[in-house]
Amino acid sequence: MSNFLNHDYGSEEEDDDFNPAPVDDSDAEDSKPQKRRPSAEAAGNDMKYNRGSAQDDDDAKNDDEEEEEEEEEDNGNEDDEDEDEEEEDDEQAVERPRKRRRGGVHSFFEEEAGVDEEEDEAEDEEDELAEFGTEMHPDDLDALPAGAETDDRRHRQLDRQRELDATMDAEKQAQMLKERYGRNRAAAADALVVPKRLLLPSVNDPSIWGCRCKPGKEREVVYSIQKRMEERPANSRNPIRLISAFERGNIMQGWFYCEARRQSDVTDALEGIAFYYPSQKMTLVPVKEMPDLLRVSKSEELMPGGWVRIKRGPYQGDLAQIEEVETNGLMVTVRLVPRLDYGMNDDNAAVPAADSKRKRTAASKNKPPQRLFSEAEAKKKHSKFLSAASGLGGKSWNYLNETYVDGFLIKDMRVQHLITKDVDPRLEEVTMFARGGEDGVANLDLASLAETLKNSTAEDSYQPGDPVEVYRGEQQGLVGRTVSTRRDIVSLQVTEGELAGQTIDAPVRTLRKRFREGDHVKVIHGSRFLNELGMVVQVKDDTVTILSDMSMQEITVFSKDLRLSAETAQDGQVGIHDVHDLVQLDAATVACVIKVDRESLRVLDQNGSVRDVLPSQIANQIPSRRDAVATDRNGAEIRNGDTVREVLGEQRNGKILHIYRSFLFLHNKAQTENAGISVVRTTNVVTVSARGGRVGGPDLTKMNPALARQNPMGGPGSMQPPQRGGRDRLPGQTVSVRSGRYKGLVGIVRSADSDSAQVELYSINKPVHLPRDILVPKDPVSKRTLDIGGRPASRVPSYSGPGSQGSSAWQGSRTPMAMADSSRTPAWSGAPSRTPAWQGMIGARTPAWKNESGRTPNPAYAEGNRTAYGNLGGRTPAWHSGNRTPRDPSAGHDAFASGSRTPAWNAPGSRTPAWSGGMTHHRDQRDFDDAPTPGGNYSAPTPDGFGAPTPGASAPTPSGWADSAPTPGGAYSAPTPGAMPKRGGYDAPTPAAYDAPTPAMGVPATPGAGYGDDDGGPRYDDGTPSP
Amino acid sequence: MSFYATPSQQRHLRACMVCAVVQPHTKFVREGCPNCENVLQLAGNTDAIEECTSQVFEGLMSIGNPTVSWVARWQRLDNYVAGTYAAKVTGILPEYIISSLEDSGIKFVPRDGSMDHDEAQDA
Repeated sequence: MSNFLNHDYGSEEEDDDFNPAPVDDSDAEDSKPQKRRPSAEAAGNDMKYNRGSAQDDDDAKNDDEEEEEEEEEDNGNEDDEDEDEEEEDDEQAVERPRKRRRGGVHSFFEEEAGVDEEEDEAEDEEDELAEFGTEMHPDDLDALPAGAETDDRRHRQLDRQRELDATMDAEKQAQMLKERYGRNRAAAADALVVPKRLLLPSVNDPSIWGCRCKPGKEREVVYSIQKRMEERPANSRNPIRLISAFERGNIMQGWFYCEARRQSDVTDALEGIAFYYPSQKMTLVPVKEMPDLLRVSKSEELMPGGWVRIKRGPYQGDLAQIEEVETNGLMVTVRLVPRLDYGMNDDNAAVPAADSKRKRTAASKNKPPQRLFSEAEAKKKHSKFLSAASGLGGKSWNYLNETYVDGFLIKDMRVQHLITKDVDPRLEEVTMFARGGEDGVANLDLASLAETLKNSTAEDSYQPGDPVEVYRGEQQGLVGRTVSTRRDIVSLQVTEGELAGQTIDAPVRTLRKRFREGDHVKVIHGSRFLNELGMVVQVKDDTVTILSDMSMQEITVFSKDLRLSAETAQDGQVGIHDVHDLVQLDAATVACVIKVDRESLRVLDQNGSVRDVLPSQIANQIPSRRDAVATDRNGAEIRNGDTVREVLGEQRNGKILHIYRSFLFLHNKAQTENAGISVVRTTNVVTVSARGGRVGGPDLTKMNPALARQNPMGGPGSMQPPQRGGRDRLPGQTVSVRSGRYKGLVGIVRSADSDSAQVELYSINKPVHLPRDILVPKDPVSKRTLDIGGRPASRVPSYSGPGSQGSSAWQGSRTPMAMADSSRTPAWSGAPSRTPAWQGMIGARTPAWKNESGRTPNPAYAEGNRTAYGNLGGRTPAWHSGNRTPRDPSAGHDAFASGSRTPAWNAPGSRTPAWSGGMTHHRDQRDFDDAPTPGGNYSAPTPDGFGAPTPGASAPTPSGWADSAPTPGGAYSAPTPGAMPKRGGYDAPTPAAYDAPTPAMGVPATPGAGYGDDDGGPRYDDGTPSP
Repeated sequence: MSFYATPSQQRHLRACMVCAVVQPHTKFVREGCPNCENVLQLAGNTDAIEECTSQVFEGLMSIGNPTVSWVARWQRLDNYVAGTYAAKVTGILPEYIISSLEDSGIKFVPRDGSMDHDEAQDA
């Protein structure tokens, strides 16, 4: 019913327009309220009706008054608060003005016979007109004879009435039909859609006030209001007079809007609403702006092939391509480049369960890189999670409940979990999706990409002066230069064609930048080629191919990402790294930068191979040490800046740029390749000329063991372990905080740089940045303070020389230079040839298990010096590297495992005293084997292992040995006398006796024979470096 | 018939794609859509609810008096029951629902903003 009313409304307005006579004006005023009444009835709004009839008397009396009031309201005179208050009573009546003149009985008839009512009203109108006639038309009265005047009016009224009757008949019929067949309101409502422009608000409509609330709580506020409206309906004692309330979510954060007749209604209704900010003044929304408040813009239509980003989860922020959109538009199947580690990092999960939560958050931070799914890798560790599915066409895999087709992850996602606006896919991201083609770019649907990008054109893409072209719409083909931009409208001055010289406006989406071959341009947006300069070599629609000034490669970018540029290219710098810098790639590799590209570096590593690395792959930059020193083939001291020549091989020569352990990075200006850099070993070069005319030849004072022994504290500075230059040992350490806000708390170092460290405290589940110097490394188990600084005076006998044996031993065996060179450390070099075991003894005697995995070094210490070995074991980096499964008891690697937890494991083991010890003292293989014990000691998971007072080294049960041959932990499984009966002989319980067991062990127990007593696996003998 | 949804219910709200009424999913199951039930017949029909309602909607509005409210008129809610509605409902009604709507004499107006866009262009 209402909809015919609306319709009527429109047509009547038109009538008004067509009949400009003043009489009609007054009619129009009447007609508005007329329409309203039936609508109210149709909606069955009893409340309104009752109120209306109750106030009939008032209405009748105040008829004229109200008319005035209404007009006032229409004019927006609400500011006049005094008046408002006085007229409060009247105002309610205004909603239903003047219509309820007739008594209750009459209104009953009205309801029963709607058509009659209309007729009555028509009569009323006539009456009114007759009444007002003389007043309203004085001019007419004067001008026309009385009879003619009234006749004319009657005629017109008759016409109007007939018209009305005609429409009413149709309405009536429609009404009847609807009542008979259409029982639904929706049908009645929407059968005819009134154009929105006829719905525009007028001053008669209720006002809308904007109110502030807590951002993000808009919806809750609206629900609170809804609740209140239901609790206090209009006929209750204290009704809520809000007509509606709404919010616009993210569009207007922190705002919600209330529709009401009067501001006081809003204030009353909102009293005590949670999250509403009453202190911030509410603002009246101007009538003109009301439609804007409710404007909704259609979200991007998701089309297969389009691009979206993922909002959360492991793929957060990743680009995804839409494979399929479900018909309801709410579920989308997307294609993603997987980020999988195939369980390769699961080893870390071997830490106690308490850590699991933190682990997960940490893991989510460093996502595995995007790579296509590889079933080969998945099979390695996770074959149980992998199953092949017979896809149509491509191979399809099911891995961890996700489907992978052609290497891509196919995933169903809800629309609300996708970012569909401002996706801005970058070209290199998109190229990952290029399906299987030989050259990915060719396969790439640049058109669909461009379409996605169109909507995300950044506002600053167009700058004044840019040459642009209108490529669609009415202005298609216009060429000009941008003059100004405001939001997404660009003003451009036409430079060619008939319109040349004129300035026109065009929306951004109809524009594209225009370049010609040969233009020199700069990439200003969106791709990894940012800031690249180059010359345009090809323009094809939206894409422009440019030849980079720097790399001389052709790159293809979107024209919107380009700008004309007069700059010329310069060699870029990637962060702090510069050509010829020495950088650390990993623990065992250093390299010299030979080329700096935009995003990558080309380096020559110590092994002479050239590779491209990303800045992120560089662990740190090794500062150039002026005093670095090495010896050449002849033992002559060589320093930075000296010119040397290779004696063998290619006989390269050059100036020493960097000395790193036994490697020299030479720079030869005459050489073009590798930026003049080459790498040689110190042992392969001879000095050609020393810088500053230093006298060549070995510095005997430094090589003389006797002299060195006089200064057992490691006198020569060069022997001190370098404080930097190796890997930073702090990350992974358990530390306690010595001062400051977190004083006393214990945590694990996540990462560290030269002066601060990021620490994950056990008690506070968040990483904090702390200065390094307030961190004290702790043993994670015993919580004893550790010294990881490489200055463990009492523990490293060979080093700081608590035992004369140790120091003399190594001095004798090695030149100081060699010692200083940490590349000899087994762990660092990683090559078996450098393991102390080797060095210390004849290689042939190394038991098989030693060679397995660079764990070798440990054994060496055992014999060398009891005092030291626990400690030493810990210090050997080899432990660390050898240990991949620290906590897996079944693997039998306990000793190592625990070794990995040894506080000192990542200490700079470069100077394993084992070495020296080995040289002098090792008499037997067995002794070496004993050595790993200490590792076990430190962190032996079983208490008995810990407490066992017997030096395990001396008493390995022969029976236990065999099985655990590869696991030193197993080897020492029988440290207690109880275990001894089998052999009975190894009861040398004190370190002092270390010599004693040696022969015994050597004889009866061949490494493969009898050590493997599994049950004792985790039991370690005493490893405390007691003496 | 309360349209109030507790914060816990607010996570499972859905909006009818025809009339934009917003209710918890359970209420759609129990009572159907208060405005379009005779066409859509959502009550007890989970599949129909999945098809005809959407959980992606924006701009919650609480309409206290649809006949008077300009907001309701503008949103074409003026003949619906008072309650909570959405300003924009994202989702696409199945073809057959639209035709059955038309059969019942309802001109379906998409509530996903596409209409507004067209009209804005017309204007």
